[in-house]
Amino acid sequence: MKPVIGYAGMTHLGINSAAAAAAYGFQTVCFDPDEDLIDRLKQGKIPVIEPGLNEIIGSQASRLTFSSHHEALHACQVIYIAADVATDEQGRSDLTQIQGLITRVVPNLSSSAILVVLCQVPPGFTRNLVVSKDRLFYQVETLIFGQAVERAMSPERFIVGCEVPERELPASYKTFLDAFSCPVLPMKYESAELAKISINCCLVGMISVANTLAELCERIGADWREIVPALRLDKRIGPHAYLSPGLGIAGGNLERDLTTVCNLAEEYGTDAEVVRSWMHNSRYRKDWVLRMFHREVLPRDTCSEIAILGLAYKENTHSTKNSPSLALIAHLKDWALRVYDPVVDGSEVDHPKCTRADSPLEAVRDADVVILMTPWPEFKDVKPADLLQVMRGRTVIDPFQILPGRECESLGFQYISLGQRQYRRDQ
Amino acid sequence: MFVHHHSIPSPPTRVVVIGAGGFVGGAIVKQLTGEGIPILSLTRKEVDLLETDASKKLKSFLRPTDSVVLVSALAPAKTVTMLMQNLQMAEAVCHVLCSTEIHHLLYISSDAVYADDANPVRENSPVAPTTLHGMMHAARELMLKSSTQAPVACLRPTLIYGAQDPHSGYGPNRFRREAAKGGPVHIFGDGEEQRDHVMVNDVAKLVSLALSYRSEGALNAVTGVSTAFRIIAEMVARQFGVEVKSQPRPGPRPHLLHRFFDITNTLKAFPTFHFTPIKQGLDLVKQGMT
Repeated sequence: MKPVIGYAGMTHLGINSAAAAAAYGFQTVCFDPDEDLIDRLKQGKIPVIEPGLNEIIGSQASRLTFSSHHEALHACQVIYIAADVATDEQGRSDLTQIQGLITRVVPNLSSSAILVVLCQVPPGFTRNLVVSKDRLFYQVETLIFGQAVERAMSPERFIVGCEVPERELPASYKTFLDAFSCPVLPMKYESAELAKISINCCLVGMISVANTLAELCERIGADWREIVPALRLDKRIGPHAYLSPGLGIAGGNLERDLTTVCNLAEEYGTDAEVVRSWMHNSRYRKDWVLRMFHREVLPRDTCSEIAILGLAYKENTHSTKNSPSLALIAHLKDWALRVYDPVVDGSEVDHPKCTRADSPLEAVRDADVVILMTPWPEFKDVKPADLLQVMRGRTVIDPFQILPGRECESLGFQYISLGQRQYRRDQ
Repeated sequence: MFVHHHSIPSPPTRVVVIGAGGFVGGAIVKQLTGEGIPILSLTRKEVDLLETDASKKLKSFLRPTDSVVLVSALAPAKTVTMLMQNLQMAEAVCHVLCSTEIHHLLYISSDAVYADDANPVRENSPVAPTTLHGMMHAARELMLKSSTQAPVACLRPTLIYGAQDPHSGYGPNRFRREAAKGGPVHIFGDGEEQRDHVMVNDVAKLVSLALSYRSEGALNAVTGVSTAFRIIAEMVARQFGVEVKSQPRPGPRPHLLHRFFDITNTLKAFPTFHFTPIKQGLDLVKQGMT
């Protein structure tokens, strides 16, 4: 018989994970103490944007029970603590919310229920919980904003922190994990907690390599796009390596893990200088567009109006945590802005001369410069010929190469993107 | 980087420039005067910071509403004696600041406070001077910050050029003087070392901006563009119609071939300010000479 799965904490992590559990045929209880949130979820109003999420929740309604009463979890054999852990500006976690959640949930565990911590917690957190260790586990989450459903439905593996890794997992928990048909890797609590951080460090390391070498490409005339396929064919690097240069890490989760490593290194006297360098590189990259605007645009063109496409920190998400777009806008207060984002409403924008547009083309009308700050798929529909018609100026800053650069240049635009030398109109 | 105490620029009530008679001090006075800002120019004639009564004299000039610019220095400080003299001058100012209220202090420091290999140099690059001159500025920054309750801005210029430059060090100033005498303009070796050169007028404009925003912290007064000495020599030679000639280096090729700066913090601190490109700056300097 299939166990009933419970999720406590209906944030991004909890909602997507619960949807995946239901999609695999498990009765799923979704608990959050926020009554308003639960009411909205019952009405099908999902507070996060993820491709495919609304469809799953709609199709699995019969398996999903939403409740703001923790007693509802009593029916579950496996209960996940699945609330996202908020971070401050320094990337430090605020664990008080999930500690409060655990305090509520533990008294409602049935005698045979398993408690699994799925949140982003620092090493040592799980072992310190006052819960019987033979029924306490930590499971690594590898949610990616914008791909959360896909990741929850098709995990590469489950990394499970245990008191005794050699001991077989409880039947209910094993049944649930086996449904996903992927490897299960039991290990010590601390190893699993650090595995999560290790994964993110590897990703940031790759991103930092891409950023560093892409900047060099911009100076020496190489093209990072030409180099990447060669790297992906190297078995030691791999086809899915994070090799796209960007505007600094954002979203909060990677930053959190880097901060945790630095804090642990400070506490235990290990060397984390390379991690600090990654953080430094990330801050540096965040200002790439600002530097290009001042270096490549202002010396040549009078610029009175700037169009900014994209406010979210990446595509397919509503999140603006550490968004490069908002960081840029903060330093453009002397220019008039018109912004457009398909999802973010712009209320976070703090700017004295900023107006919101309802479409990309409306945003760019009469603009001197257009800057594509988020690689939303719909921006690919913007045609350079349309820009030519409606824009006043002839500069496109497109870090992620959403628009066809050569076509832009052939139409007379100065086209500026990451990882390739900037060719000016006068060159 | 700079943090502004004024979100909207507001002209200072009065600016006291200590070291107004020098190359940089003179440019600051000219800039502020042009903006109609009341100034009290103090030269060695009014207050000699090496005299025993320097603190007493300086104190008598200051008001609580004054913005003070300290640009006075015996530069470059090449010897231990010069280092100590410069610190003694700063000590005299610090004695005054400890017991006198002022509105704002701006200190003209130097990029020599950074380590030689801090490429690209930013304001958060480690302060690790390798010369007595750099150590002098680093020590003075700390002395001043620890002596006043007022916000302290440290502006750290790199190689400054301008018509009135008194040093004629290797670079635009010496090249121009050689060219003006009929040339040739001499470079060492191939002159391939790239350095950032900032026009003195731009330093003065940054001072004005920092005063009007009542900025606090450190900011590099650098253009963000590094140019080879040979390129600059050729620009100057063309201006005067003379030749560039290579001569052997006086010593070994420098360990640090190039020095670059990241000026992101300047773009954020003063978004509408732009440095004068080197070619344009050299033209302006030549016009100033004629």
